[in-house]
Parts: sequence; structure tokens; C-alpha cells
Amino acid sequence: MKSRNLALLLVLVMVLGAATVGCGQGAEQGATDDGITEIVIAQGIDVRSWDIHDHNNTATEALHVNVFDYLVWRNQDLEIQPALATSWEQVDETTWRFELREGVKWHDGEPFTAEDVKWTLERIANPETGAELREHGQYKQIQEVRIVDDHTVEIITFAPEPVLLNRLCRLGSSMLPKHYLEEVGWEGFEAHPIGTGPFKFVEWIKDDRVVLEAYDDYWRGRPEIDRLVFRAIPEDATRVAELLTGGVDIAVNVPPQEWPNVESNSDTVLKRANSQRVMLLVDRLNPEYKTSDPNVRAAIDYAIDKQALVDTIMGGAGTPTRTRVTPGNFGANPDLYNTYLYDPDKAVELLAASGYGPDNPCQITMHSPAGRYPMDKEVAQAIAAMLESVGFDVNLQIVEFGQLSNIRNAQEHQELYLIGFANSLWDAHLALNSLRQAIDGEKQHHYFINEEFEQLTAEAAVEMDRERRAEMYHRAQEIIADNHGPHIYLYQLKNSYGINKQVNFEPRADEMLWMWPVTVNEGS
Amino acid sequence: MKRYIARRLLQIIPVIIGVSIIVFVLLRLTGDPVILMLPEDATPQEIESLTTALGLDKPLHVQYWVFFKNALKGDFGRSFRFKAPALQIVLERMPHTLQLAGAAMLVALVIAIPLGIISAVKQNSAIDLTASTVSVLGRAMPNFWLGLMLIIVFAVVLRWLPVSGKGTLSHLILPAATLGTGMAATITRLIRSSMLEVIRQDFITTARSKGLSESVVIYKHALRNALIPVVTIVGIQTATLMGGAVVTEQVFAWGGIGQLAVLALNMRDMALVQAIVMVMALIIIFANLFVDIVYCIIDPRISFE
Amino acid sequence: MRSELNDTQNEPGGTIVSNLGADGMSPRSGWGKRFVKLSRSPVGLTGAIVVAVVLFVALFGSYLTPHDPGLTDLYNRLVPPSWVDGGQPQHLLGTDQLGRDILSRIIMGTQVSVAVGISAVLVAGVVGVTFGLITGYFGGILDTLLSRFLDSFMAIPGILLTMTVLGVLGPGVITLVFVLGFTRWVGYARVVRGEVLSLKSREYVEAAKALGQSNFWILARHVLPNVMASIIVLATLNVATTIIAESSLSFLGLGVQPPTITWGQMLNDGRDYITTAWWLATFPGVAITISVLGVLFLGDWLRDVLDPRLRK
Repeated sequence: MKSRNLALLLVLVMVLGAATVGCGQGAEQGATDDGITEIVIAQGIDVRSWDIHDHNNTATEALHVNVFDYLVWRNQDLEIQPALATSWEQVDETTWRFELREGVKWHDGEPFTAEDVKWTLERIANPETGAELREHGQYKQIQEVRIVDDHTVEIITFAPEPVLLNRLCRLGSSMLPKHYLEEVGWEGFEAHPIGTGPFKFVEWIKDDRVVLEAYDDYWRGRPEIDRLVFRAIPEDATRVAELLTGGVDIAVNVPPQEWPNVESNSDTVLKRANSQRVMLLVDRLNPEYKTSDPNVRAAIDYAIDKQALVDTIMGGAGTPTRTRVTPGNFGANPDLYNTYLYDPDKAVELLAASGYGPDNPCQITMHSPAGRYPMDKEVAQAIAAMLESVGFDVNLQIVEFGQLSNIRNAQEHQELYLIGFANSLWDAHLALNSLRQAIDGEKQHHYFINEEFEQLTAEAAVEMDRERRAEMYHRAQEIIADNHGPHIYLYQLKNSYGINKQVNFEPRADEMLWMWPVTVNEGS
Repeated sequence: MKRYIARRLLQIIPVIIGVSIIVFVLLRLTGDPVILMLPEDATPQEIESLTTALGLDKPLHVQYWVFFKNALKGDFGRSFRFKAPALQIVLERMPHTLQLAGAAMLVALVIAIPLGIISAVKQNSAIDLTASTVSVLGRAMPNFWLGLMLIIVFAVVLRWLPVSGKGTLSHLILPAATLGTGMAATITRLIRSSMLEVIRQDFITTARSKGLSESVVIYKHALRNALIPVVTIVGIQTATLMGGAVVTEQVFAWGGIGQLAVLALNMRDMALVQAIVMVMALIIIFANLFVDIVYCIIDPRISFE
Repeated sequence: MRSELNDTQNEPGGTIVSNLGADGMSPRSGWGKRFVKLSRSPVGLTGAIVVAVVLFVALFGSYLTPHDPGLTDLYNRLVPPSWVDGGQPQHLLGTDQLGRDILSRIIMGTQVSVAVGISAVLVAGVVGVTFGLITGYFGGILDTLLSRFLDSFMAIPGILLTMTVLGVLGPGVITLVFVLGFTRWVGYARVVRGEVLSLKSREYVEAAKALGQSNFWILARHVLPNVMASIIVLATLNVATTIIAESSLSFLGLGVQPPTITWGQMLNDGRDYITTAWWLATFPGVAITISVLGVLFLGDWLRDVLDPRLRK
């Protein structure tokens, strides 16, 4: 009798025990807790890595800017201002001299000096140490960093570099601590990174959150926020739900269907900012793909109603464009912005000219990520439907973004894939340089062979006269647009942020989540 | 008694080996598991080193031996997505699934036990009929659809509960209810038949003839005996529970191994999938073992050979 | 043994009130009598009607859709059902995130559910019966090995096994049907095996052996008619669970891939819009529930009619 009861009790206890495992963890904290001001920001993905030279990911950089500093930085109006460098001048065609800020300390108390600048820039610029890193292409123009004294450096480039300053205030140009890295190596750095930025690293729970705390000795002054938490919440609905219930204070990338929820909620507000990101289709020009045929490419371009995509699926948060170099970026071609091609009848004609028709549909494969960019899956499906209505037979493959990256890297993508590119350089150079046939002898994979384009981009890369440079880039963009390849641009995104009313955060056009100036209203 | 436990423990060894063989075979259905365990852009060196590590250049039984040895060490390969050992990722998330499963079982029992009893006691009454209808409905409704409907009602319309995610008790309610009510349908039925069977038995008639009140008869005698098979039910339902958890976790973004399985499969990260299958199977096997042992303790009819 | 209780896992909703009395009707009486019984059972009748409708829609769906199910209409996205504020009469159940008519898509989705449901069960049935015959007949080590293998098999949740196979082999309808079949054959095997074991020693088997007929085929010929009733009932129930399994897989993105339309996929799409467009996620689920209910009711009636022995 007794043992029976005991046993039944045991079972119940086991069940209850399982039910309470993990209870009590993850209790969400509000903006103020025990007098500490904590802000929680939710992004769609987790920070990828702490190696600032090897992630090439906007969301990661958006977090990194709170931990690291650049030599120069862009303010809210995107003008270049002094940061770790207080002044600079161009000594000759290939030499720039920078005066460094004094009294700056790393999170571990050591002083920031010219040694750090040399170590950081040479690591990424030098092929021996940097060739395998993602940002190498943006820094290999630097030949050497010469230390003049503790707070003065000279950056020497191989050829005239019109965009050197741009290169020093973007993703990949944060300053790294030489002494620390030499001591703990990259493994140690990935476990506990340090920088000169306003917030110090506390912990990183993978695929969940990064926790930072205020750095008292920050050179701009201690930030108002005491604690900063970046959470990774891939699901749009969950991210927004957390915002609405107060679990997070800022939600990045609120999709259009959630806008009414955020706006009608009394605690939250929706703020929009133009972004540098342009959604586009990458079409392959290799001979074995249907898109090597210019008629097919043009048909694709004419078949897609970009304005409809923006107006309906994106809820108006976007601008059609035929170039990736949007206003604000040096070299932007205004004739190609806020305009688009759409003529489905012409698309049918073009396909017919290449022998495709109702009994011979043009079969293509299109890849698309899901959940990486706002409404990417829906846009891909809409595009596929538009293409099919003019005579394409589209095999649409919707995959997770990580997998799409792998497919791209392995060169296994097909006729089309949907993707969104930003521009951290704020210069046409970044948008167009990668479309060259070969970069320093390394052949690119996209089979785009256009002599005029090659010549223009090569010259513009070293042209110091701004007007002449801009003209060259204008023409280069025209060539891409008229060729409908290797990219077909769709629209520029406008990002929507859901923000708790108590938090004074203004979104930036470069998508950086710069939290140093952010204040919180009392009594929240 | 101890011998029974020992015997059962020995019995699960071939089952575990059987599961490992199934997992081994699954990964090799296409002939080349290496392609499955590396991302599309793996370098030839990476492919080669994994091929050697898995012993793929050797005969099948050697490969299995390598796999088995590694499994014993807890090495199920490296998740290329998380850049960490597969088993580690799985174990990090296991507590969340256990929590959900436990809560769901609780919900199921809390609904099923009273309902099953009343259905049996008042057989063929309106309540019995309602319970049966609800049972069938529970069987017919896809688990995840129920979850979505519950979200619409309780999170969107009424705003009583959060939409998804995990962290607090209120986050647990909807997922547990979703997972649990499906099982409640099955369990109610089983309790009902078990109760009906017990009620008809002699010792109940004896109790009644002794003049004991009906409620004493029911609650003291019949119930205790009818609950014995309930213990077994908890064990059997573990497999259903784990399967249901896969879908429920996905609906509610509940970061357990169920959601991990879906993620791993969408990313084609087979090392992770392999680890998940093994861990889930082990949970189920040990749950069943535990239940068998408990059952033996409490059922006076079982004699120990 | 634990496994016996497993068999009841697939049973429908218990003792649903049926007008058929336990009159010990022989399983060999005419189908005509059965039809009469069907019309007297509200449950059975409902089930039969629902199943008939579902089959009809599956077969003739392409002609029944009010709109082209794949036609996108971006300017009519997320239109609510016609009876709700903002609805349109031409879209009875509303439109989805790309402006496609939901009713038309639900009609088309019937095809996959029915096709996969029936084929998977056929695979399960064939495999299961064969296994049951073989192991029951040969017994011995084969039988023990199989039982052990079954235990291992049952330790892995069906859906996980299915997902993994699809992940390894790639999604595809054929793969889907076979793997769904392979996770369900156990029930058939057990039933057949049980019957084989009980028949093995009967007299007429000995007699037939003496006449020189091959053992295996004797067994098959005598076993199968007896188990046919159980198998039919089991098959009906399996169709129900398979429909749900297929929709679960589609919901997870691992089942039948677009552009083929399935109810599970529609539910997956609808999930993102749950807070703003509830109809995307509601109606496909209703379709699944009604279809499965119909099958379960029919199965229940079949069980009552074909073999009262099965009724507890």
C-alpha cells in the first residue's frame, strides 16, 4: 500500500520537476531595475563574431560600435568627425598623417597609442595576416602604417586613395588592442573582447544575447545607460511581441504587418530611417545559365513591378531604384534613383526574341533567404509570380540565410538570387568595385565583361578629383543598369524601428545602434 | 525486485544499440554523410579530414564501430552552424524541452484524470458523450493548429498571454496547453476504460456489499487501482510528447531541442540532427524504463521472477 | 507487455454512441446489410459523407476553384473573409499575403493530403503485412530480432525520423510517402503476426501440409481473410494520422514543397500574420480537422461493423 502511494508520488514529482526546470531564468528586466538603467535591444540575428575584420555583417557592426571606436566616425547627419584621431591631413598623394587623441584608455586600463593603430590596420592590410579575412579587400590599399610618435601615425597607401577616410569610419576599421591580442590571441578575444568604446563586454550567450555595461573612463564621457543587452530574436512576431510587452526597449526591423500593433500600443512608437540597404537580384552571367542571354535578363527586369512591391508588401517603406549607389553616397547617379523599369508586354517580347514562349517557358531557378531582410520571403514569391506571368518557369528555393551564404560561396547558386546589400563606405567604390572582372589579378566569379566599365572603375579608384570621379561612377552605374546584370536593383529599404517611448533613440541611416547618446526618461 | 531492475537495465542496452544503428544508417542513406555534415562551401581539405575522421574509406562495420566509439565519448560531430560540438548544443537546450514536456504531461493528467473518472462513473451520460467528442476533436486537430488558435484567442484577442518565446510562467502556459491537450484526449480514454474494467471487478462488488458509500468505493478503491496503468501511460506517451514538442516548440519559438531539430534540418546540419535523435531516443528509453520500474513497485499483481 | 497498449494509441475516440448493437454480426454478411447499418449510424454516416466530399474535392479540385490558386494580386493582399468588415464577396475566405484566394488554395490542398494519406498507408500496409507474415511464420531468431528492432524503432519519435530522412534524402513526394509509410507499418505487422501465430498450429494447416502445398502460401491464404477487418480499420485510422503528419511536416517546411499547395504550408505562411490576419492560419486548420474527423468517424463505424471483437 504505502510503497504504491510512494511510487505514484514519485512519478508526480518527476513530472513536476521536469515542469519547473529552468523556471526563474530569463525573468525580463525593465528599463530601470534597482536604480540601474538597462536598455534591451532586439535584432533579428546574433552577433556573428568579435573579429571586427572578419564578419562583414551590419547587425554585428551595429552592436560593435558600442564596444570599439574608429579613428574617425560619422555623426547622426553622417558627416565625418574626429574620433580616436583628432586631426588629419594629406601629406602627399599616398601619405596621410593622423594625430591621435590623448588620454584614451582600453577597457583594461592600458593606454591607446599609435602602436595599436599600426597593429590593427596592418593586420587587415597585409596579405600575410589578412588575406583570408573578409575585410581585406577594403584595406589592402594600405601599404604601411608608420609610427611618428605615440600619438601620431602616417598611413601610406600604394596608390592615391580617394576614399581612405571613408575606409576608416566603417565596419572593419575599429581599433584593436595590440597588447591584449598579443597576450590572449583571437580565441581569448572572442571569449572576452575589449575596446575603447563606451560599453564594456560582460557576457555573450550564443544565439541569445550579448550583455554590455557602461565604461566609466570613456573619452567622450560615461554613457547614461548603465547596462546594454542585445538580444537575438529571429521571429518578427516574437520580437515585436517582446517590445509590446516591455521585454525589449528597441526592436529592429518591424515588418509592415506589425506596424499597426506598435503604433497603437501606448508605450511604443514607430520610427523610420532611410537605410543604405538596397534589395536586388543577382543574375548569373556564366554561359551555362539562361541569364547569360541579355534578352532574358532584360525580360526579368521589365517583368517586375518594383513600385507595387514597395507599395504593397513593403507598406510603402522603400524607394524603387536602378542603382545601388543611393543619395548620400558619393557618386550617386540621380537619374537612376526613384525610378524603375516595368513593362510586362515588353518582357514577353524579349523572351519571344530568344525563342521562349507559352509552349517553351524559360526555366530558371531563384534562391531567396527567409527572415534575413524585411519581407524577403514574400517579395521573392511575388517576384516569382511576376516572372511566371510573362513566361518564365521559376523554381523558387527559399532557404535560410546561412545556407544561402554557403551556396553563394560554393558558387552553386543559379540564375537568380535575392539579396540586400548595404554600403558601409558611403562611396560608389564599394558598390561597384566588386563587379570588376578581376581585382588585382584575382578573377571574380560573375563573368561580367565590359571594357568600359573596367576602365571607369579602375580609373575612379585612384582619381582624387571629386567631380571627375563622380562622373565616372555615374556612367558605370548606367552600364550596369542597361546591362540588367550582374545585378538587377529593386528598391532601397526604409527601416522601421519599434521603440519604447521612454527611450530617446533616433535611428541612423547606417543602421548602427549607437547607444552612447541615448537617454531614458525618468519614471519608466 | 533488484533482479528485475537489473534485467530491465540489461534489456535497454540492445535497444540503445538498435537506435544507434538506425541513426548510423539514416546518415548514410545517400552514401556520403560527409556532404551532409559540412556546409556547401567546405574546402576539399575539410571534406577530406572529416572523411578520414569518420573512417569512410573503411568497410561499413568499421565505420559503425568508429561512430559507436565516438558516440560513447559524446562526440556526434561538430555543428557547422554553431561552430561547436553537436552534443553540447543539444544539452544546452534539453532542459527547455524537458520543462515543456513536464508541464504538458501535468496539463494532460490534470485534464484527463478527472474527466476519465467521471466518464467512467457516469457512463453514457451527457458528460461521457461530451468527453468522447472532445477526445475525438483532440485527435483530429493538428497539434500546431491548436497552438495557433490558442495564440489568436489568448494572446492576440484577449491579450492575457504572450505570443511566443520563453522566460516566464506565462510563456509556458500556451505551449504546455497545446502539447498537453492532445495527449489528454488519449489519456482520458485510457483512464475511462481502465476505470470501467476495475469497477466491474469482484473486489469492488465486495466493497459495495460491505456497505461502504459509493464515493469511498470509487475514490479509495477503484481509483487507486485504475491509476496504475496511468503510470505506464506516462511512459508510453513520452515518445508522443517528444514528437509533439518538435512542432509545438516551433510554433511558440520555445528554444528547446525540438525547435533545434527543425533549425538543424533547415540548415542541413546533420551532425546536430544526429545528436538530437540520439538524445531524444535516450530520453524516451529511460523514461519508459523508469516507468516500468515504478509500475512494478506499485502493481501488486506482478510477481518478480 | 507494453506494446499491447501501444496498439490503442491509434484508436479513435473511444466508445462513440452507435446505433449498432453488439449483436455479434458475422464479418462475412453482405455489404448491402452494411449500408443499411450505415444509414442508421449518425456517426458513420457523417464520416462517410465527409470522406466522400473530401475525395470528390481531391479528384475534381482543379475544376472547383473559384480563382486560380496561384494567382497573386498584390493590391488585394490580406483581404479578410467576406463576412468580416473589409471582406470581398468574391473571396469567401479572404486572401493571403500575396493576394491569392484562400478558398481556392484550400481546395487544391486537398489533393496532396488525400494522395499522400492514401499512398503512405498503402505502403505501410504492404510492408507491415509482409513483415507480419514472415516473422510470424518463421518465428525464432528472426522474430526476436524484429521485436528488438521494433523497440528501437519506437524509441525515436515518428516525426523526427520522418524529418531526418527527408533532410538526408531531400524533400520529395515519393520520399515523403515512403517514409511516412515506414513509420506506420508496425501496427499491421503486429496484427498479422498475432493471427499467424494463432493459426500456425491449427489442424487444417497440418492437413494442407500433408497435401503438399507450400507452407507459406497456406498461411497467407488462411490468415489474410481473418485479419482483413482489423487491417481495414487500422488503415482508416492511419490515413487520419498520416494527414496530420503530412501537414505537420509541411508546416515545418520539410514536407511537400511549393509551388504544390498543402494545408500545412498555408498554416506555416499564416503564422507570421497571426496577429493581423487570423484567417490565413484558421481555415486550413479547419479543413484538416474536418477531414480527419470524417476519416475517424468512418473508421469507428467500420470497426463496429466489421469486427465487434475489436470493440472494448
